[in-house]
Amino acid sequence: MRHPTILHALSVNNLLDVLKQGAALAFVALGLTAALVAGGFDMSAGAVSQLTANLAAGAIGKGLGTAAALSVGVGAGLTTGLANAALVLFLRMPPFVATLGSMFVVMGLTLLYNHGQTLTLYDQPVFFRIGQGTVGPIPVIALLLACLLATLHVFFRHTREGLRMYAVGGNLAAAELRGIDRRRAVIMSFLIAGGVLGLSGVVLASYSYGASATAAGLDFLVSALAAAFLGASLSRTGELDMIGTTIAALFLASLSNGLILLGVSNLVLPGIQGIVLILSILLGVIGKRAIGQVTIF
Amino acid sequence: MEATAHTTSIRRWLPGGEFLRAYGALIGMVIVLLAVGVLKPSFLSYANVGNVLRQSAVLIVLACGLSFVLVLRGVDLSIAQTTDAAAITAAALLIHGQPVWMAFAAPLALGALIGVFNGLMMAYLGVPAIIGSLGAMFIIRSGEMIYTKGSEPQILFTLPKSVTADFLFLGQKTIGPVPALIVLALVCLAIAWGLSGLTPFGRYARAVGSNVRASFLAGVDTRMIFAAGFVLSGLFAAVAGIAMAVRTGIASPRGAEPYLLDAFAACYLGTLASRTGAVSIPGTLIGALFVSFLSNGLTILGLGAAARFTLNGMFILLAMAVGALRRPI
Repeated sequence: MRHPTILHALSVNNLLDVLKQGAALAFVALGLTAALVAGGFDMSAGAVSQLTANLAAGAIGKGLGTAAALSVGVGAGLTTGLANAALVLFLRMPPFVATLGSMFVVMGLTLLYNHGQTLTLYDQPVFFRIGQGTVGPIPVIALLLACLLATLHVFFRHTREGLRMYAVGGNLAAAELRGIDRRRAVIMSFLIAGGVLGLSGVVLASYSYGASATAAGLDFLVSALAAAFLGASLSRTGELDMIGTTIAALFLASLSNGLILLGVSNLVLPGIQGIVLILSILLGVIGKRAIGQVTIF
Repeated sequence: MEATAHTTSIRRWLPGGEFLRAYGALIGMVIVLLAVGVLKPSFLSYANVGNVLRQSAVLIVLACGLSFVLVLRGVDLSIAQTTDAAAITAAALLIHGQPVWMAFAAPLALGALIGVFNGLMMAYLGVPAIIGSLGAMFIIRSGEMIYTKGSEPQILFTLPKSVTADFLFLGQKTIGPVPALIVLALVCLAIAWGLSGLTPFGRYARAVGSNVRASFLAGVDTRMIFAAGFVLSGLFAAVAGIAMAVRTGIASPRGAEPYLLDAFAACYLGTLASRTGAVSIPGTLIGALFVSFLSNGLTILGLGAAARFTLNGMFILLAMAVGALRRPI
């Protein structure tokens, strides 16, 4: 006999719910992956996503419409991406420190903007369609994700620019010997990351009917990092990969969903995310025999 | 490289020369604090300064632990969670009628255990410290939430005085004229300074931090030293947790999270105080004091968490930017 929770977990409605949850996470994870590909790091990914969610929800709340919310969100994302790139390139900071600093600045700006209040939206059928609507049986958010994924995949795997970014991230010395401009790759990767993260904020605001006020920057970050590294360890070469990231994000969302259906307390979920994060990076590093130093100065 | 030429030209352009370059950041910090004092004279009053010094004990201890890891070129993002876990452990043990010495010993053991876990993971398995400690942070947080059934605070001050008096003594009484918490911070500072300045461990740690390959070839057990840094940061975070519990008489999950930002800001600001731009214990002390006084000043000025996040984030960036200009290439 089958267990009832398994039946529910595999029901069409629940699968579509998981697809929506996973898509929201995948947006953030894709943005982060874009920053990681060129050898950067983005501590601020979660915080930027939350800031843009607040800005987008604010724009909708002021009655500016969906197009304005999108442009505000993506614009803010691009701005933070540009700022991160400037810190890394012109002030020659290691990406970890630059984005750690900008993470805290962005968290502060978010609090300044929402005054610690949750922004809840009501009655916005057009805007809610992004995160909650469906086209036939398929959620709009999943279609959006598929479009973004296709664009990013083609860009990173099949254009000169994208492959150069992989080269810079993979082996900087070799890439520079081949005449690849590191600065261009770094700017591009932070800009793409910022744009995608801005978009993710807009999608999150629509998916969750507004924006939360609790500083959740690190929570988003840990799930997104887990998705990116799990995705990398799924691929044959162990390289970061947009498709891998997306699959891993969907997997992580269904994992949380399944655990909650099995009656596991949601207090356990952060810990499980932490374990997944560590295990997924462990697969890649365990053979290298290095110690876990990072560039922090 | 063109970057070098760029830096040299900026350095030549900077006025004031050697003196300003060595002490400019310190002077800047003092000016900022004096400005707050001019706006709100109560900020520099005897009572307020004493109060901030007592409050800063937690941050000083925490930032000292983080300094060890940063010297090794590691990062420990789990320190604030360790602080919370230690505070909750101490409070829970007292609430369940355990003796006072347990409330001091058990959190320390927990901190050391978390440090050993982190150390094994980063030094022996090779997990990058950002990722590993971020994972550890969430695992510990989950543990706290499960224990407290979703953030129920562990309250000490409602217990009978006979139970808590010996524990809360540390937070509320003075030893001679000096508050006990400040004595605790001074002891931790002395231990940290001694470890980094007087022992072989301190020298090995700087060696591993500046060139891990060279120190390995010179016979340093790099993995052991790297792991020891995490054990120290876990221990210091546990002491900070005890300090937090005795000062406030309450412990709840995520209570210490704001200290993570403060500790990073303190360490990075501290690099400005040393001439070489390296992380040092005295530098971290200066940074921690500045961060504590500034956040108190911001509160007095009526600015909340938003300003604190933004300013501390900017200070990290500013410290790194100034450091990049000063650093010899």
